[in-house]
Amino acid sequence: MTVLKVRDLRIRYADNQPEILKGISFDVEDSDFMAIIGPSGAGKSTLIRCINRLVEPTSGSIELFGQDVLALKGTALRQLRRNVGMIFQEFNLINRMSVMDNVLSGRLGYTGNLRSLFRAFPQSDISRALALLDRVGLSDHVNKRADELSGGQRQRVGIARALMQQPKLLLLDEPTSALDPKISREVMGLIREIASELRVPALCNIHDVQLAKESCNRIIGLQDGYKKFDGETGTLRDRDLEEIYAMEVL
Amino acid sequence: MASLDIDIGRVEGQRALVRQRHLKMAAIWAVVFAFLAWCFHGTIIQDTDWSRIGGANGVLGSLGRFLALDFSLLPELVIPTIETFMVACVGTVLGCFFSLPVAWFGAANVTPNRFFFYPAGRFLMVLSRSVHEIIWALIFVSAVGLGALPGILAIAMRSVGFISKITAEAIENIDKKPVEAIRAVGGNDFQVMYYGILPQIYPVVLATVIFEWDINIRRSAVMGLVGAGGLGLTFFRQMNSFNYGGVTMVILAILLLIVLGEVLSHFLRKAVI
Repeated sequence: MTVLKVRDLRIRYADNQPEILKGISFDVEDSDFMAIIGPSGAGKSTLIRCINRLVEPTSGSIELFGQDVLALKGTALRQLRRNVGMIFQEFNLINRMSVMDNVLSGRLGYTGNLRSLFRAFPQSDISRALALLDRVGLSDHVNKRADELSGGQRQRVGIARALMQQPKLLLLDEPTSALDPKISREVMGLIREIASELRVPALCNIHDVQLAKESCNRIIGLQDGYKKFDGETGTLRDRDLEEIYAMEVL
Repeated sequence: MASLDIDIGRVEGQRALVRQRHLKMAAIWAVVFAFLAWCFHGTIIQDTDWSRIGGANGVLGSLGRFLALDFSLLPELVIPTIETFMVACVGTVLGCFFSLPVAWFGAANVTPNRFFFYPAGRFLMVLSRSVHEIIWALIFVSAVGLGALPGILAIAMRSVGFISKITAEAIENIDKKPVEAIRAVGGNDFQVMYYGILPQIYPVVLATVIFEWDINIRRSAVMGLVGAGGLGLTFFRQMNSFNYGGVTMVILAILLLIVLGEVLSHFLRKAVI
């Protein structure tokens, strides 16, 4: 089943600036773990942020779970966002808060203002947060401050926060670029594992082509705002990579 | 040793430039001194009642009267000292509450509207600081009458400027990444501020509030001069009854309170940072 349909997506940040995305179209199926590859500045981050409207596209259409994303406003938009878990390149944690509060903040879309004010999350959320922290291997760090953790651990907090939302789609914006190669593979493996356990489709920006080939079943190649490749991982040839990265792949 | 190869002729033209610069500096200093002399003449020489001073003995004698400490005043100082401290504390807390909307309006990245609320917030910041605390106290004494309340309100109004300005600047300098994360989980504007922004600005704001509280102890000590409660009122009464020893006692009480505030704020600030 198709979860996400993107059609002719275009965006420019200001009238006098060039387009970042120049008519991107693609589909994501509910079984997909899809990679978006491409050089820096190709528009990968912008594309992924259009899906949950952290960035406003200029034109085109996005249909997510059968809803027209670009027509949503206010509460409806926030309700859509809480169904979409996002994991960031630089983790985007709240540094001065505890690991536990960071994970619980994934629940804010479901939490009223009064409960948010006192950080009084329901017991069910707290149990779920503890279970998720256990799943990502951070049970020993629950009450530490987020900035006391190492990079890999922080990204695990980011993963737990995204899963707190009980997402129906995961958006991953270079989830491993800030980590060393070994930790990168561990973190990517964990995300891959959890996504298939929960049967959540994922859309993943990644610039490490090797890692993309290892972990994703489909790949989209972006270059300078254009889609240059779209297909099963097995069909990606060196020729395609040369075109995407506009250089010789050694 | 080889002699340095200097060509005097080539630099001859630059001597005039150096000379010109010296003349310019001399002219600037001459203007500065002339201005100061004019001020000195206008204020001290013309505006002082020289006949009433009556020589060095007179001046020293007048000052000497302040040294005869009046210890009988001690029991009457306790309550006003405590009141002064309370006015500073309550005024600071109230000032923090007033600062919240002002900082929100006056921070360019979160202001509800750039054309109305932003300038309004900035204007309130300037207004709070440009009006002296005594003037604020006079305004509130005429509004709510004598006592500690006008003092508290005056301190609160005077505190808004600094607290909200520093807070607004802290908000403008936040790291946007946590904000993005809270928006991405579906958080509303309040949740974005409370979870995304507040934890980041909290240390700066708290240190600023402690600093302002320290200053407010000084401010609340003079509130009584215009009838707004505390030690200032005792000071005013002693001065009016020409009890100079009593005046010194009040000054010592103020000094003690300020030292106390200094010490407390030092440790509080350490605890925060």
